[in-house]
Amino acid sequence: MTVDRADVTTDVASCWMGPGYSADDNALTAGRRAAEQAVDGRVALLLLVFAPPSYDLEKLLDGVRSCASDGTVIAGCTSMGGVVAGQPDSPTRGVVVVALGGPGLQVRARAGRNVSARRREAGAEAAATVGGLTAPSRICLLLCDGLVGEQHEVVRGAYGVLGATVPMVGGCAGDDLTYTRTHQFLGDRAGVEILTDTVVGIGLGSAVGFGVGIAHGWRKVGEPAVVTSSSGGRLFQFDGRPALDAYLDWIGADRSLLDDRNEFRIRAFGSPLGMSRRTGEDIRVVHDGDLSDGSLLCLADVPQGALAWLMEPDDEALVEAAAASCAQAIENLDGAQARGLLLFNCGVRKVMLGRAGMQREVEAVVKAGGDVPFGGFFTYGEIARTRGARGMHHLTVVTLALA
Amino acid sequence: MAFHWSMHQLTEYFAAISASSDEETAIKVAVERAVEALDAEVGAARLDAQGQWRGAIGLATQLPASVLEPVLQGASSVELPELGTVYACGADLGSAIDGCLFVARMSEQLSAEERQMLQGMAQVLGLALRNLGALAVERSLREDHEREAAHRLELLEAVRAQQLLLETLLAIQRAISQREPLHSVLEAVTSGASNLLGQAGIALVLADPTEPANLIMAGSFHWPTTATGAALAAAARAMAAGEIVECPTTDSPEGALHAVPVHVSGSVGGSLVAVQPAATDADDGQASMLVAFAQQISMALTDARTVEAMREAYRDPLTGLPNRALFLERLQRSLSDPGSDPVVVLFIDLDRFKAVNDSLGHRAGDELLTEVAGRIRTTLRASYLAARLGGDEFAVLLDGQSTETACQVAERIAARVAEPFLIAARTVYIGASIGVASRTAGCTAVELLSNADLAMYRAKKTASGRAVVFKPAMHTDAVAQLDFQADLKTAFGARQFRLNYQPIVALETGALYGVEALLRWEHPIRGQVSPVDFVPVAEEIGLISDIGRWVLREALTELAVLRSSAPDLTVSVNLSPREVTDHDFVEKVEEALAAAALPGCALTVELTETALLTDPALALRHLSSLKELGVRIALDDFGTGYSSLSHLRQFPVDQLKVDRTFVADVCESSEDRAVVQAVIDLARALSLEVVAEGIEGSRQQGELIGMGCALGQGYHLCRPVRSADCRRLVNERAIPRSARIDAMVATQ
Repeated sequence: MTVDRADVTTDVASCWMGPGYSADDNALTAGRRAAEQAVDGRVALLLLVFAPPSYDLEKLLDGVRSCASDGTVIAGCTSMGGVVAGQPDSPTRGVVVVALGGPGLQVRARAGRNVSARRREAGAEAAATVGGLTAPSRICLLLCDGLVGEQHEVVRGAYGVLGATVPMVGGCAGDDLTYTRTHQFLGDRAGVEILTDTVVGIGLGSAVGFGVGIAHGWRKVGEPAVVTSSSGGRLFQFDGRPALDAYLDWIGADRSLLDDRNEFRIRAFGSPLGMSRRTGEDIRVVHDGDLSDGSLLCLADVPQGALAWLMEPDDEALVEAAAASCAQAIENLDGAQARGLLLFNCGVRKVMLGRAGMQREVEAVVKAGGDVPFGGFFTYGEIARTRGARGMHHLTVVTLALA
Repeated sequence: MAFHWSMHQLTEYFAAISASSDEETAIKVAVERAVEALDAEVGAARLDAQGQWRGAIGLATQLPASVLEPVLQGASSVELPELGTVYACGADLGSAIDGCLFVARMSEQLSAEERQMLQGMAQVLGLALRNLGALAVERSLREDHEREAAHRLELLEAVRAQQLLLETLLAIQRAISQREPLHSVLEAVTSGASNLLGQAGIALVLADPTEPANLIMAGSFHWPTTATGAALAAAARAMAAGEIVECPTTDSPEGALHAVPVHVSGSVGGSLVAVQPAATDADDGQASMLVAFAQQISMALTDARTVEAMREAYRDPLTGLPNRALFLERLQRSLSDPGSDPVVVLFIDLDRFKAVNDSLGHRAGDELLTEVAGRIRTTLRASYLAARLGGDEFAVLLDGQSTETACQVAERIAARVAEPFLIAARTVYIGASIGVASRTAGCTAVELLSNADLAMYRAKKTASGRAVVFKPAMHTDAVAQLDFQADLKTAFGARQFRLNYQPIVALETGALYGVEALLRWEHPIRGQVSPVDFVPVAEEIGLISDIGRWVLREALTELAVLRSSAPDLTVSVNLSPREVTDHDFVEKVEEALAAAALPGCALTVELTETALLTDPALALRHLSSLKELGVRIALDDFGTGYSSLSHLRQFPVDQLKVDRTFVADVCESSEDRAVVQAVIDLARALSLEVVAEGIEGSRQQGELIGMGCALGQGYHLCRPVRSADCRRLVNERAIPRSARIDAMVATQ
């Protein structure tokens, strides 16, 4: 589906962003209220909806549609919580709607379906929506199913279309850590498709430009090990040893930890892997272990031959990372005034930070952004490419600043 | 220890390249990994042999071909469309392959370490491409090999088909050279063809060697029975055309027919016919196979022995007439042809042939059969088919003739056969019993011939000299005959036989001379069955010897009891011709005498004259042996059968029994009286006893006494009685033998 809304004026200050939130039990009410708050009487060009999967999504989106105008693009996805100012608790339950509009903004959207079978092609299809934008500055916002795995291939496919001149941002949809099914939304006032195994590409065009910030706050510890055998996100061996056993040694645990998968996951969230890169580390979230073959499962690919470290969190660094990401994004506006911040915050960080940490994070974002409105969601992976060709991140805060 | 990210990345890079299965993938992976590792935005590879950028990423537009030249000459930055000035670096793919790996980065210049890593990546890519090139060559070779293998497979299939053909033909040749029976040779031909043609139905039609206009279904394999006519028609067409013909499906409901001529001794001698099921199509390959096979078997069939075997298979070697197999085949064909109606068969059985054969020898018998065959042939029209079925049996097939016409033909044949034959310088007279049967709905050739046989059997029994037309009731009779035979077989074990005894008395004095044992069969349902009815059947089914043995023992046992009252009493026992020539006949008599503890002279065996003719030499030997035991021999029914007076001199006969037919009218008929007188005189001249049979009145008795007949038996004198009554009779009327002789002398 391609949705188009291209009205460009020379009023460079006419781009706006408004977040909204509702935790009403009634899905229709929650969607409507969050959208009303976000739109605030304006004509939105884009309504981004980030909702927990527990809502009746159809009714929720009906509520959102009631606040849409003709030509409003409605997009979004399920998450493991929303990010919005004024809600320091960021409860899991509650829908976040971010409205974008203004005459200086162009919006187009497109879905790439059946991602798991054709990641590159789906990424390319979603990214192709940018081709219809005429504004001088363009960015591609990708919302991808967080359970398809190897999302970096989606990003590669998108890069093949976008090239070096169009940056990417976005996040992977979540499902409140149930790892069952995520959903992606795309539609308009007439109706919104509730999709899965899909990557929604939203092309944003602006006369002013966009800023992207990326930061994570993890540091590597101990001695590294070579990934001597892997396939995609499944690590078979570290230095010739079963990867699971090597990892458990690293984190000071044993195989009994896998008796309780949730417990393992929480421990693993706090001990991701980082792969040596030219600039920093590529972080990989460990989310499961396979006792049958001693392999370790990560949310994204861990290339064979990579040198990997165990990473550990620093609470302060984690909180600071959010602020740093926002600050970076604003800085990358090259002096243009930020009108809104869109945050794609790794859900593992939420688990690590906990309630108190999240509150501090929000405060840090507020502090970094000032009174710039912000909104976003907790993701199963983050997408950001401004330089180089890589764009898939984990345990990271990605921020898109709009001017 | 400092960890150099570039080294680690190179390892990842190498692993990723190694997993590439083709050149395009390797290039794409290499460019991607190099760009990502170096945080570059643009990358591409070029193989100088083609001069085009391959695997390019990062630019929406095409990477200019000329961009590399400044870089290769040491420039660290280039101008790219869309991006402007970028920092670029290129690295050779190594000595293994011409080409380079190119990356461009927007943010900063590539460091020495980065350039070194790029060089390493380029060389790894070069090595990978060289290996993949070798793999591609190998794959191409393998594909060539696979194509070749497929071609070889096709050739192999062709060779296998050829091999199968060869093996099939060899099997046929083996069958011929090993002189296997003709049916084995023909089965090898038809089954082999069927196998080669995917189990198609096959028929081999050959022209009758002696009558080429007639086509014979010489062999078949998987051939539908309803398509015989179609096969012959297709064969005729192929033989006329001299080439393969295809008969449309409408000709045969089973499917399309293909017929190929088969040559025997250089001439078209038949046809190989194949039928494909309607659901399949005979392709050109199969037609060619059929032609090839027909050519090969032509050579096989031309083999002289096969030709001769064919001739032998369908012709009677003695008479040259068609044999039973050919007759039945032609008869079945006529029956299958609805246009051929009516269809009538004559079954001809010669009368008294065996006697001639036995008396004059087998060579004379063969000569006689040949003469008979000639007479039958010349009596018939050319369109009728005469055949010798075997032994002294012949058959004639009359297509399209009525039963009445067939009867006329039969009687002409019977008349011709009744005419004298000159065989071995002797004049021989035989006859023919002929049965006539016409087609009935649904009857087969075998059934029709069987019907004619039954009719012939009736003709032989009635001995009327007329042809007998089959009636369905004859089946009933035949069944009844079978039942009768079955009852007879069980009668012996069920003790349903008994002996009655009829006294032989001195005509003048009425004194008891002896008794004749007469076999009786009392069936619980049939009642009393006359020996006239069951003795011939007993002879037919081979039961007569056992019955005869029992009769001897029983009679002699009874005589032993009777002799307590009449010590000189004798018993006469009838023997069948079959018994006389049994190898253990004398032994049987000897055992019976020993069991009864009686001397040989107590027994008189009665034979008909005909019994002596079956095997005169053997009969003479046996009778001579009996004579040595003291047994007496009587000729029964004297004057009725084939007689030779020399036999009377030759055989040790003691008694003549005048047949009842002459005795019956001895008072009324001068001829009968003359015959009886002649017999009495003959007996006297040869010092033989005479017994007149069938005396039923005192006039007859008186007349016979006047003629000099001393002994007689008949109802007038005494009916046949059971053993108990016989014992009482003997007790009351026994006279010494010496007195009987005196009485005889006194009357002369």
